[in-house]
Amino acid sequence: MGLLRGNLSHTLGLHREPVSEFDPTLPIRAKHGDEQAFIRIVEFYYPRCLRFARNMLGSDQDAEEAVQDTFVRVHDSFSRFREDARFDPWLFRILANRCRTTMARNRRHRSLIEYGDIPQTATAEHEIGADWAEEVNVVLDSLPADQREAFLLRHVEDLSYEDISAMTGVRLSALRMRVKRACDTLRARLGERSENDRKHGGHNG
Amino acid sequence: MSPRTNNLLLGAALCAAMVAAHGVGAQEARLLSIRDDATRDRVRIFVEAARLRGTPTEPLVSRALEGIAFKADAKRIEQALAALEKRMRRAKELLAPHATVDELAAAADAIANRVPEKAISDLRRIAPRRSITVEIGVLTELVAKGVKPSVAATMVRDLMAKGATGAQLTELNAAVQQDVALGVTPMEALVLRTRGVMSLLPPAASVNAAQRP
Amino acid sequence: MIGNMVDTMDDERDEVIERVVGALSPLPQPRSAAVARVLMAVRARRAQPVSRVRRAIWWAEDTAVSAKVAGLLAAASLTIGFVARGTMTEQVTYAGAESTSIEMQPVASMSSAVPVAMAFELANAKTVSVVGDFNGWDPAANPMQRVGANGPWSTTLLAKPGRHTYAFLVDGTTLVADPRAPKAKNPDFGGDASVLMVRTP
Repeated sequence: MGLLRGNLSHTLGLHREPVSEFDPTLPIRAKHGDEQAFIRIVEFYYPRCLRFARNMLGSDQDAEEAVQDTFVRVHDSFSRFREDARFDPWLFRILANRCRTTMARNRRHRSLIEYGDIPQTATAEHEIGADWAEEVNVVLDSLPADQREAFLLRHVEDLSYEDISAMTGVRLSALRMRVKRACDTLRARLGERSENDRKHGGHNG
Repeated sequence: MSPRTNNLLLGAALCAAMVAAHGVGAQEARLLSIRDDATRDRVRIFVEAARLRGTPTEPLVSRALEGIAFKADAKRIEQALAALEKRMRRAKELLAPHATVDELAAAADAIANRVPEKAISDLRRIAPRRSITVEIGVLTELVAKGVKPSVAATMVRDLMAKGATGAQLTELNAAVQQDVALGVTPMEALVLRTRGVMSLLPPAASVNAAQRP
Repeated sequence: MIGNMVDTMDDERDEVIERVVGALSPLPQPRSAAVARVLMAVRARRAQPVSRVRRAIWWAEDTAVSAKVAGLLAAASLTIGFVARGTMTEQVTYAGAESTSIEMQPVASMSSAVPVAMAFELANAKTVSVVGDFNGWDPAANPMQRVGANGPWSTTLLAKPGRHTYAFLVDGTTLVADPRAPKAKNPDFGGDASVLMVRTP
């Protein structure tokens, strides 16, 4: 069931998994009906899309649904994909929209603010032994969706501000502000814990 | 003329004919992956001759490429192709009055794995209007795993006659495989699992796909 | 995919943020057959064109398909079937001398092929691909990918319903049978291969 966003077994220092090269001809071939090319695209991007959706939505199940729905829409709207465009921003625009729709749908069903499916025990920030990833998730969850989205797209998915602006239709300056605010909150609520960890030489399990 | 020259001329003539012929392009393209020239030519000649005899060429090309993957020499490959063609012709008779290429290939494999020929024609009689590729495949696999051919044939036939779908038969096969892996004899496994599927079938054949071991 | 490194406003990434990003960056391992489920959802859409009005209902429908599919999964050979949605018309053609020089059936007609998830554990390998009768034993047709340096190899391929034989080609040279699948005897060429039974849609 949907619990945590980050991978608990990964600790500091393991920033990025090695990513193999993406064949830029794949979207073009898929656009023209090459089903195998479409499969390759799904295989390549699925983990990244799942990462973003999980971080955004806080629920494994919601994330999977959003990712699946995204690829179906990608398949449906390939005719609108311009062959000279880059695939990443186009894909993530659809994914981000799917995530927003999911959140809107969840809001209708839940009266609480978005906490995803994180159980209550994980919300105690300074609980002894609380895992770093869990804490990050809690704080991330508490951010306004706009800030969370901007932060994830910029700093985890590594998209440029220009790309994000084109994708979301938000002005560059507003985007930067959202990311800045997100960072401020993260720093404020996690900085002390990070500092403690450093002092005690501790790493999370 | 030496046999070699003969072959070369025949090859050239066939090549020309192939280029002219419509729809052969796909198979020819697949043959191009055979790196050894002599092997490729030999296969090409055989396949073209088979095509002129009315034999579907796709399964032949696949078999040739399989031989390449398993590092067989040209002679072995040619023998395998000849054997496959012979089985496909027999399959065509058994599956009369009509068969898809997939069914022919599946039935040819079945014959190679010692599935009784009568079983194949029985299956066709039970389902004359839809593809029985899957059913033939399940029968092949059961016999290959050691179920007595006549028993396997009876079971699959009876299930089909009672309305079991290809999906149900595939499930049955998977369940039998698991049982065998756990130490049950193939025969016992098949009998038990068949009973299980049978109990689901009448009167309205419903697919209870969730029922797994 | 490298981010805009020159972004001057990006003085946000101090140590805390770096640690935060570190916790959020690891790529998740998708559940087995996740890709195949995507493909089936795509197929479901194709079989039933959805009008604008029905889009809202489509969410619920899709979830129902997922639940049903979840019940079907768990076959040892990771074969996935496609249930219920849409109809695939069978094409019955005539084989034999009556037909002319034209091929009887298009090779590997996409409309009847089913997505199959393949998985293989092998730590010390540089490349792995799936070769079988569904792809003409072509080493280049279905290369496998791995997550991380030692994770399992995986890929999704298309195969028509019925019985298939296949093997994994390791480092371009060695054929290895699938340890998780039934063995296939090869009367023609010997060697180790495996059996894949693909379910009817």
